[in-house]
Amino acid sequence: MTILLLFLILALGSFALLSRDLLHSVIALSALSMLSALMFTILKAPDVAITEAAVGAGISTIIFVWAIRHTRRRSKD
Amino acid sequence: MKRTLFIIKLIFILLILALAIFPVILSSHSWPVVSRDYLYENALSDTGAVNTVSSIYLGYRAMDTLGETLVLLVSITGTMGILINLGRENEEEEAVSFSLAPEKRATNAQRTHLLEVVASKLGPVVLLFGFYVMLYGHISPGGGFQGGVIVASAIVFLALGTETQTKLTNTNVLGRIESLSFLVLIIAATSGVFFESGFFGNPIKSGSSLSANFIILLNIIIGLKVGTSIAVMCIAMMGGRRGH
Amino acid sequence: MVIERILIFLLALVGFSAIVGAKNIIKKVFGLNILNAAVVLLYILEGSRIGEQAPILGEGVTTIVDPVPQALMLTAIVIGVCVTALALALAVRLYKATGSLEIDTISERLRSEH
Repeated sequence: MTILLLFLILALGSFALLSRDLLHSVIALSALSMLSALMFTILKAPDVAITEAAVGAGISTIIFVWAIRHTRRRSKD
Repeated sequence: MKRTLFIIKLIFILLILALAIFPVILSSHSWPVVSRDYLYENALSDTGAVNTVSSIYLGYRAMDTLGETLVLLVSITGTMGILINLGRENEEEEAVSFSLAPEKRATNAQRTHLLEVVASKLGPVVLLFGFYVMLYGHISPGGGFQGGVIVASAIVFLALGTETQTKLTNTNVLGRIESLSFLVLIIAATSGVFFESGFFGNPIKSGSSLSANFIILLNIIIGLKVGTSIAVMCIAMMGGRRGH
Repeated sequence: MVIERILIFLLALVGFSAIVGAKNIIKKVFGLNILNAAVVLLYILEGSRIGEQAPILGEGVTTIVDPVPQALMLTAIVIGVCVTALALALAVRLYKATGSLEIDTISERLRSEH
């Protein structure tokens, strides 16, 4: 189970870096945080899971969307 | 040509890094169980918290928590300083605001009534859940950091909605709560010195049934500190209501 | 056990290569986030090998996992979001000053100004 989740996390991380649209990357990072939170719950770490879900999917996404809104959405590579 | 050379260099660096970490991957040394066993036997009687994670970061290693809040304070201060300079240089640009003016709302397709209504209804519920996580951190999963971050997202929800006008989205009020909670944290940290239990020690003697109250107090203070400082940063980033 | 470590190490390598190799500043910040996630995953995974129950004491709880890495990583996650916020504020400031997010263009424009 953890191996499957780790494969998904790795795929999402690679997608976030290869995508040319930065907004798609932000959503992929948010999904990566949610999968990490699921994995922490499986690994018996509920405190870390709550923190990761609130920080990674909530606050971090707000900050990234703010930065992309003030700059450019397209990336060259 | 330059690009290929760069990629070759990058692959070379990654290979060397992989070679350095490879023995760590293959090591079969088992994880030590000494600290786990000590905490299993003594954590409840030492700090009064059933949740062992809480008893570490608020009891045994509360000094680290003080340092962590200091790092949070410094980084938020730096971010706010940069943000204030940004606003001054680009005053002619249209400010990105949480609450659109009513006459602009029809033309802006990204902000709908659905978002505003749902966010303002969801805000108080999330706020209540944040305080629940914060207050019950000693007996169930949760604590100051987790509850604080949930409270911060609840305040962002309240700021996104226009239906409920509350003082909680005013950055002046939030800043005052933050400074007050930091002051109380310092006072609570030094209070142990006068009761013979050392810096960040529990001023109430351990062994009595009141022992967990100090953990609850620290949880509330740290939750308010973390929540309000992150909320101030998010509201200032979105160019929300600045208090006058 | 080895497969999980290799996967987490690959995740860390992805983050590191983004920090070193990406041309876009915001993608470098993505790399910082991914590296942070990999470190947290490694600590929690290794700490959970010695027990079967969550570290909350109570009746019937006999073998808990190690709570020390969990308490450490709790702090690391909150610090991570602070680092992200500061880095992104600096990136936006740099964009307002030079009008670009690519590091080559930024260094050219900064050099031509002086």
